[in-house]
Amino acid sequence: MSTILLINIAWQVSTLALVTLGLAIVFGKLKIMNMAHGEFVMIGAYAPIITSSLGLATWLQLPICIITVSLVALILERTIIRHLYGRMFDSLLATWGVSILLREIVELVFGRSYQSVPQPVTGTIDIFGTDYPAYRVVIFLFVIFGFIVLAWWNKRSKVATQLKAMVENPELAQAIGINTGRLSAGAFVFGCATAGLAGLLLAPTVQVEPMMGLDYLLKSFFALVVGGLGGLDGLAVGSSIIAGTQSIVSVAYSQTAGYLAVLVLSIFFLWLKPDGIRASS
Amino acid sequence: MLLGDFVAYQLGLYLIYGITAQGVGFLWGKAGVLPLGQALFFGVSAYSTGIIFQNVDSLSLHLVFAILTLAILGVVAYVIAAVVFKRRTNSGPYFSLITLALAMIVEQLAGTTTHITGGFNGLYGFDSIAGLDPFGSLYYLIVVCSVSVTLLLMILNTLPINLIAKAVSENEPRMQLLGFPTYALKAQAFAFSAIIAGLGGWLFASHQGIVTPTSTGFALSAELVIITAVGGRFHVFGPLIGAVVFGFLASEMRDNFVYWELLLAVVFIVVVLKAKGGLAELIVVFLDKIFPKLLSISSNEFVRTAAPPSNRVLKAGNLIFCDVHLQIGVVKILDGVSFVLPESGIVSVIGPNGAGKTTILNTITGNLFPTTGSINFEGKRIDKRPPYAALKSSIGRKQQVPSVFFSLSASDNLAVAMMAGRARVPDYFKRSTLTWYNSALTNIIDHPNVPLKTALNKTAQTLSQGHRQFLEFAMTAATEPKLLLLDEPCAGLSSEETSLMTELVREFQSQSDGLVVMVEHDMSIVEAISDKVLVLHQGRVLSFGSFLEIKNNTEVQAVYAGGTK
Repeated sequence: MSTILLINIAWQVSTLALVTLGLAIVFGKLKIMNMAHGEFVMIGAYAPIITSSLGLATWLQLPICIITVSLVALILERTIIRHLYGRMFDSLLATWGVSILLREIVELVFGRSYQSVPQPVTGTIDIFGTDYPAYRVVIFLFVIFGFIVLAWWNKRSKVATQLKAMVENPELAQAIGINTGRLSAGAFVFGCATAGLAGLLLAPTVQVEPMMGLDYLLKSFFALVVGGLGGLDGLAVGSSIIAGTQSIVSVAYSQTAGYLAVLVLSIFFLWLKPDGIRASS
Repeated sequence: MLLGDFVAYQLGLYLIYGITAQGVGFLWGKAGVLPLGQALFFGVSAYSTGIIFQNVDSLSLHLVFAILTLAILGVVAYVIAAVVFKRRTNSGPYFSLITLALAMIVEQLAGTTTHITGGFNGLYGFDSIAGLDPFGSLYYLIVVCSVSVTLLLMILNTLPINLIAKAVSENEPRMQLLGFPTYALKAQAFAFSAIIAGLGGWLFASHQGIVTPTSTGFALSAELVIITAVGGRFHVFGPLIGAVVFGFLASEMRDNFVYWELLLAVVFIVVVLKAKGGLAELIVVFLDKIFPKLLSISSNEFVRTAAPPSNRVLKAGNLIFCDVHLQIGVVKILDGVSFVLPESGIVSVIGPNGAGKTTILNTITGNLFPTTGSINFEGKRIDKRPPYAALKSSIGRKQQVPSVFFSLSASDNLAVAMMAGRARVPDYFKRSTLTWYNSALTNIIDHPNVPLKTALNKTAQTLSQGHRQFLEFAMTAATEPKLLLLDEPCAGLSSEETSLMTELVREFQSQSDGLVVMVEHDMSIVEAISDKVLVLHQGRVLSFGSFLEIKNNTEVQAVYAGGTK
């Protein structure tokens, strides 16, 4: 296989892992089937557009993204999501309504047309003899670094342990003094903020429009189904398989075939191994 | 007349969506399966109808192909659902995602196989069925179809099949222990909804004269679910109301009210959270307040008819465990269990917590599979079979925490139990099946001390724990099992209720002359009715004998009085 294909696969896998992380927290840990996950990515992707339309400095994109997405997530958690813990079907439906709601609001404010966001880092870098866009390399490194930090935090932090306890046995967790309401809200907001951040980072590389979230939603779900909900290694495995399959089949046949291959693969996993390759014990 | 024609055209379209949504409502509201890709059946039917109309002229052939299309859709839907549901019991949300993925595949294919489907431009150039005018007489055909589907669903509501569907969605494990292959039942419901969606698609092709990929994909599937949810998924009329009301509202509002889609999303969220039954439920509740008697159907619970004998050959046999091991991870739950139980009598299974008593029952009914070893009953191997096969071997089981159908009335619970292992296909469509009773059931219900007779109309949810225990016992006994497994039948019962339950168990055994295996902690019960006692400890058989022998066994004494392992 050519170098550029391998680099592209690495890029696709890392971006999918980045986007899926939020859903891994919200669906994997909190068991909320967040059908609005893609919309949080989308809102994050609109942050640069918000910033430029308000005439603000470029560096404010990051705080605006985080604040907007976190605020939306917090409002949703307090009003709707808090009723849905443990009710998987209902969470699917309610968050679906939320996704339509968010899409409509963005459409009303920004219109349906495609927008583009300029790349903060331009030019190419030479990797193994091929020129590759520098911005993508930056994101790839950021994803690797971010995951290492996250894995370390997951192992060491007290909050991570409390989260695991709460997910295992919410009543017992409450009984020993863990504020499960605040913990769930915090986890949900963090998960959505991660999705928003992914959107912000990816915005310069895609067409930004209100409907862009659906594709990310499905791919994230399928990555989790394949990889299993068991944490970061499941996330890595799932993203690799889904993104890898799509990249390879797209190059070998066509974009449509790549898309179809992902769908068929996911159906097989949903049918035969719904807990994924690396299910949580 | 132009205004009238146009309204008929619009109403026809909304009715088409309404019919399709009624299929969704049945599948979701009754059988508890949420389809997120129903447009796939709608669209495939529309496309094949268009293709047929393009190439074939005779009306009779059109009708033949219509029936063929619907049949094929039903079979394909059944196969997909059966294969997925057979794999896992609680695969509900995953199945929904599968249907979504399938709809998206079909939408992609519809858009790209241009030589078959006309691609994104759509399939057109055909006339409607029998040349009926979409602005005129086609409307009447649509109304006839809508009325027929509505009537069909309303009739089904009154038949035993309705109870079965609700029971499957309410408590699938209990249905399996009653011998129903729930995966097949859910698949049948899915196939039925697919056929209805196919009917919608068939009408759609004639109505629109063009079929595009948007008739097969995610957006339409989503709309169908929203219409069903907001219109009301628990009532036959709900999806129709949803389709028509929102169809008209949307066409009015879409151009005038910019926030229309926003409002729809908010309404949907509110319905999901607060008003699960949608508009139809609100209407029914409202009507019920004004005309309380109008909507209630009087039930004939005092009418009883004799049930036919059960479908199985009822012969007793020894229950034999042969070196059964069950290991999950590093935990050895069963560590070499072997015993041979007598063909008839009452055997109590006792032992400290964690000894493996409930696990023994689980391996008998197939809720868990042994890692090694074999279990035989009536000369046949019964380990490694799914739970719905247990009743075929005449094995019945009562759970530790009473497992009944909470949203159904007590008499409906009993009706479902009476159908278990007994009803043949035609019986599910006859109202008389709901009045079946047999002697095993009357022995319990008509017993002067059993408190169920006056509570038959109450939903199982409103019954007390004790009453639920008696209800579940009655349901299990009604299936006349030759091997009855009871998991702490007296848990949560008062001392009077305990003696009553003990008496009922004894009476049942003397009537059936089969084997009753009872897990129990209360030694006075064990002493009162056991013929033999099996003592388990840490996954192994410690002792097996009469109560007196067990009582005097020093090892058993040590285990219960705190001796070392």
